[in-house]
Amino acid sequence: MSLTSLVPLIGIADVVIGLSLGSRLFLIAVGLSLIFGVLGVLNFAHGGFYMLGAYFTLAVVSNVVDNFWIAVVVGALAVGVVGAAIEFSAIRRLYDRVDSDLDQLIVTFGFVLVIHETVRFVWGSGSYSIDPPDVFNFSVALGGSTFNAYRLVVIGLAVGVLVALWLFITRTYFGSLVRGTSSDREMAAMLGVDVPRLYTGVFFLGSVLAGLGGALSAPLQSTSPALGDQVIIDAFIVVVIGGLGSMSGAFVGAMLIGMMQSLGPQFISAGSIAIPFLAMVIVLLIRPEGLFGGIGE
Amino acid sequence: MSATDTGGRVSRFGSAVAEGWTRERFGLLGAVALVLVAFAPPFQVYLFTDFLVVALFALGFNLLYGYTGLLSFGHGLFYAGGAYGIAIVLRDLGPVIADVVGAGISPLVTFVLGGVVGLVLVVLVAVPVGWLSVRLEEIYFALITLAFGMLGYSLIIQDPAGLTNGTDGVIVLLGTVDLGGFSLRIGGRRIYYAISAVTVVAAVYGVWRVVNSPFGTVCKAIRESPDRAAALGIDVGHHRWMTFIVSAAVVGIAGVLRAGLASVASPGLTHWSTSAIAVIATVIGGATYFYGPIVGAFIFLYIRWAISRFPALEAYWELFFGALLIAVVLFFKQGAVGGLLLLRDRLFGDGGGGGGGALDDGQASTAADDGAESGDDNVRADRGDNS
Repeated sequence: MSLTSLVPLIGIADVVIGLSLGSRLFLIAVGLSLIFGVLGVLNFAHGGFYMLGAYFTLAVVSNVVDNFWIAVVVGALAVGVVGAAIEFSAIRRLYDRVDSDLDQLIVTFGFVLVIHETVRFVWGSGSYSIDPPDVFNFSVALGGSTFNAYRLVVIGLAVGVLVALWLFITRTYFGSLVRGTSSDREMAAMLGVDVPRLYTGVFFLGSVLAGLGGALSAPLQSTSPALGDQVIIDAFIVVVIGGLGSMSGAFVGAMLIGMMQSLGPQFISAGSIAIPFLAMVIVLLIRPEGLFGGIGE
Repeated sequence: MSATDTGGRVSRFGSAVAEGWTRERFGLLGAVALVLVAFAPPFQVYLFTDFLVVALFALGFNLLYGYTGLLSFGHGLFYAGGAYGIAIVLRDLGPVIADVVGAGISPLVTFVLGGVVGLVLVVLVAVPVGWLSVRLEEIYFALITLAFGMLGYSLIIQDPAGLTNGTDGVIVLLGTVDLGGFSLRIGGRRIYYAISAVTVVAAVYGVWRVVNSPFGTVCKAIRESPDRAAALGIDVGHHRWMTFIVSAAVVGIAGVLRAGLASVASPGLTHWSTSAIAVIATVIGGATYFYGPIVGAFIFLYIRWAISRFPALEAYWELFFGALLIAVVLFFKQGAVGGLLLLRDRLFGDGGGGGGGALDDGQASTAADDGAESGDDNVRADRGDNS
């Protein structure tokens, strides 16, 4: 009896799909984690930002220019502007409160409802889909299974974003300001860092990343108003497992959950959707700082 | 407790109003109102029952949030626990009970027994979940309760034990009590309203007693300063755990009533978006007041109903509550009850926050940290009255 008949066969396609699901989760989770690490805000509306990224991209492709990549960039930046506006107009007012953490969570939850309903108002309740860009829209056959080549592009871009962010945070002047402010906000302010502006900047960056995740995922999923609510819970799981504030943690956590979503159902028939939540509970109890360290790691 | 205790800061007119409207009179007025509602058109009876259930849900949630500062995003788990408890008893034990007590009275016996089972089930879940959750605070507490809620959601959907009927949920058939010539349909709108009203009033009174008991006083001490309470020899973790269990039990009772009202126990009750309803109602009503969640639930249900009268807006009622939630947290943390008290002071008082009248139970927490300075002395004076 061969080994393959004992162990369910893991197709290469399943791995690629898992990694591409992980990539989109990474893009939303890393922004969530960055914002929490620097501002101390757990942004409930981050799933909404991801969803807006997908809708903006679809809107640009179908109404403005028929070029997917331009639409992705425009969509992600537009989400960044929305995020910065929310930080500037609402979240900023809460930093100095005594119990600011929970107030921030409740306010960003308010934006979950507002974004969800606005999207429904503008684009309706139906779902939209879009083809991957022509260059990558072909099937790859590997190890007896097939997948769309565009998934490889998404994985590659996610890795690229991780590297770029790491270089940005550890090697640039702005990155050092971010690290300094995240470890001691008062001291950074006394040393002349314009903290409010830096906060808005970090919120902009985190929102752009969520928007980018949504934009790049638009060809891989159907985009509907329910998307934000689904993806924010996955993102919470990822950042808890990886550690709130940790970028490498967000990457490993995202890939772990992505693979679990892709491969899990083959191994465990019942209870498979419960496992990520169980993992979240266990990590919170045993290692609330996550499996990986703090910001910049 | 009368307004004159505050040292003549209330105008004569104000104190007359405050003395005339004692808690007993408000209670009597409330009871009359509850009876009158039973004679309203059927839909209004249904809507009011819905309000009572959501109010109890939010009140239970706020026992934890308002009194210990722990924000749970997973209380849907206990809401569903109560609902599934009674639904499964009604489905699986109805015939057995009918054999024992006779078919005529059995729907009522099954309903009561189901409610008790639902409550016990919720407490059994809340004991370990609470014990684990209260080790964490703030954001981390919100996240772990969210995870527990969604864990319950996943298990109910996937139904490994074959009890919950997956995504369809369990249908609730309340049946008719038939005692030779006298029959009573438990699920009838007015009958069910009467059952709900009595249960909710009793539960609210129970919560009120807990809040004003020595236990509640300790909770308030912890809320004011966990470190100082701990220094006084209070076991902070233990008290939070106990509050968690009581809070879950209250929500469980609301869940039992929800199952009968909706005629189904559905998995959506465990979803975090259901847990969020308690958060919305509580914050809008004013988490720092005992009656805040009740007023918030009233606003939530009736504004939603009012919006639904306009077909063009009907689908977008959540937008309104999202915006309202943001506005309340940003600009007026005391919520609707705080607003009403402020309005009362403006109308009848000296505007300086005087008057420990009947409605204000002085359950303001430290969360009322901004813009509440003027009312702060008053709140502290009241707290002394109640404790």
